[in-house]
Amino acid sequence: MLTLLKLFQSFVRALHSDGTPQQVAAGVALGAALGLTPLMSLHNLLIVALIFLLRVSVPGAILGWLIMLPVGFLLDPLFDAMGSALLINAGGLQPVWTAIYNTPVLSLSKVNNTVVLGSVVGWVALAFPIYFLARIGVRGYRATLGPRIERSRVVRAVRTTKLYNFYRMFQP
Amino acid sequence: MKRPRLLRWRAIVPLGVVIALLGLVWWLLLDRIVELGIEETGAVLVGARVDLESADVRLRDGTVALRGLQVANPNAPMQNLFEAEEIVADVRWRPLLEQKVVVDTVAVRGLQFGTAREESGALEHPHPQGGLVAREVSAWAEAARVPQFRLEALGQVLDIGAVDPDSLRTLGEARALAARADEVRATWDQALAALDPQPHIDSARALAQRLEETDLGGLNVLRGARLAGEVQRTLSDLRTVAEAVEALSLTAQASLVDLQGGLDGLVAARQADYAYAIGLLELPSLDTPDVSPAFFGDAAIAWVEPVLYWLRLAEQHLPPGLDPRRYRGPDRPRRAGTTVEFPDATSDPRFLLEYGELGLELGGEGVAAGAYLAQVTGLTSDPALYGKPLELVVQRTGAAVGPSDVAVRALLDHVEAPIVDSLAVRLAGIALPSLDLGGLGARLVMGRGTTDLRLARTGDALSATWSWHAPQANWERLPRTGSEEPGTEAAPIGMRERIDGLVWRTVSGLRDVRIEVGLSGAVQQPALSVRSNVGEAIAGSLRRELGREVASAERRVRAEVDALLSDELGRARRSVNGLEAQYRREIEATLAALDAVREQLERELPGGLRIP
Repeated sequence: MLTLLKLFQSFVRALHSDGTPQQVAAGVALGAALGLTPLMSLHNLLIVALIFLLRVSVPGAILGWLIMLPVGFLLDPLFDAMGSALLINAGGLQPVWTAIYNTPVLSLSKVNNTVVLGSVVGWVALAFPIYFLARIGVRGYRATLGPRIERSRVVRAVRTTKLYNFYRMFQP
Repeated sequence: MKRPRLLRWRAIVPLGVVIALLGLVWWLLLDRIVELGIEETGAVLVGARVDLESADVRLRDGTVALRGLQVANPNAPMQNLFEAEEIVADVRWRPLLEQKVVVDTVAVRGLQFGTAREESGALEHPHPQGGLVAREVSAWAEAARVPQFRLEALGQVLDIGAVDPDSLRTLGEARALAARADEVRATWDQALAALDPQPHIDSARALAQRLEETDLGGLNVLRGARLAGEVQRTLSDLRTVAEAVEALSLTAQASLVDLQGGLDGLVAARQADYAYAIGLLELPSLDTPDVSPAFFGDAAIAWVEPVLYWLRLAEQHLPPGLDPRRYRGPDRPRRAGTTVEFPDATSDPRFLLEYGELGLELGGEGVAAGAYLAQVTGLTSDPALYGKPLELVVQRTGAAVGPSDVAVRALLDHVEAPIVDSLAVRLAGIALPSLDLGGLGARLVMGRGTTDLRLARTGDALSATWSWHAPQANWERLPRTGSEEPGTEAAPIGMRERIDGLVWRTVSGLRDVRIEVGLSGAVQQPALSVRSNVGEAIAGSLRRELGREVASAERRVRAEVDALLSDELGRARRSVNGLEAQYRREIEATLAALDAVREQLERELPGGLRIP
């Protein structure tokens, strides 16, 4: 329940934040990496650092993570197959993997695992489509639906309730 | 419009602080992380719980100290494969950045094997690949187990009813043979009916008769030519029919050879059925090679099982060559996937122990109780990268119970395929185990003696001999349970008391006991052989005393099996023999008739009427 509430908050904050649609979309694209790839990986530490260092929307990144988390689980068989194709079946790439596997720090990235490699490649391939779709979505929302929702009696009424104050307590 | 800046400069310091905090937490929890890592990795490797009391990692000194390591036995969860009081390792830190562990030296103190556990070492959720080697070796041991020698069988009533006729191979084969003979007969009948040679023979005979009665000299040219043409057509017709019958004859002969082969096969099947029926009655074989495994088979398997386990484990975890290696990925909420390792000729192995000293303590009064020092060099997961074989030398450091002479040397050369392993163990003056030989109602107390193990492995081929010599063995009688008391059933083979007395007299006089266990063949499924002077002596005595009676019992079993088989065997024989007779009666007779009438026609036809 709390996760759903937080997902909803991230969604609302991302759409209504001061960030530009590009910043929100970039946040969603970077956050997608956390959801699509196994979380406890070295590259995700880098992604988190990038989310905080680059001027991208942090709520957008959280939104991207939470949305892509179940997608990552669903796509695991595909990522496994992609990773197998690259790690095991693509003999020509073996020198690359050998170099990565035997390079300090890089070898900690665990890209020698089929699911990690497949999901990283999958995220790289999906990052730009996710960015563009998110940017279109945020722009469209802010131009049409957003102001109307902000002005709606329901939202104004909800904002005066104690339930809204409770909701604000859990804002990220 | 103002373009937003790319970086959040103000975030750098907080991010740095967060990363530093994470580093601090990692450093504070490092000991626990190492502890958990060893427990989890060990459990996957062994297939049973691995418990570690504490781990102490000192990054500045490059040392790791592990205390209270217990590795449970996957086949006996209340027992440890081994436990170590303390392990102190000097670890190089740089390879750790490549997820590799290179240990310059390690000192193991208080290493003990086969100690009891306080709680079960079985895993609640075993890793699918964990303990695979242990399971395979256990499966081999189960398959290799030899039924114990049972003197009771010598005194039992022969119960032929125990032989299920349906389980006799001969019956099935005899029925199938008779059915095949019936099929062949039907095929012949059909083929002969289709050919129907009799009208052709009759017609030719009639023509021959006409020729004989005709004055050929008085025929004019036209009639003579017509008659000659008729004769040639008939001869041609006879040749065609004869060729078809000959073809049928060839097929029939092949079928007969096949069926005769089936009859010969029934003889072999009957021999197998005799062996099966005799085996059901558990009459002991008195051939020497069979008797020793029945006495010492279980002990031999218990001795060689750990050797095979460690040998197979070394094969699995110390593979030769530099090919990429695949393992199941880590357990996590996401799919595990496959982790592939890519060894590089110029880099460090994934795991390397350059030199280790292990202080072994083998407790109790068992085979090798005592204190030892083991020195191991070149233990690595990538022997091809290390380039040298693993060497293990064990020497005695002193013990009250232990052996007076110890020589253990192992060399595992896995640098390149085929892997070559050799192991030589000689322990002299050790307390050899006592063996309960329940089947004989006696315990063999081997006392002090010598054990000698020689093992050589090249690729998959294994050859090993493990000999045990007890020059001053003693024998103790085991108390008999009520059910084992000799009964008063009818028709016993020999008297139980007599057999007991005989066996006891034979073994109790044996002071010098030698047992030799052999392993040969593929390392995954080696053949086990056991020889002993005890088995030879008992077999010799029993053969002298009971050989005639056992032979008589076996004759009775054979007679009973013959009685069960006689109907079906007779039917199969009759079918095949009947078919042979039919072949001679119908096919050979037809061919003979065709030949005879053809010859008659050619004889009756004068030269003047022959058409070239």
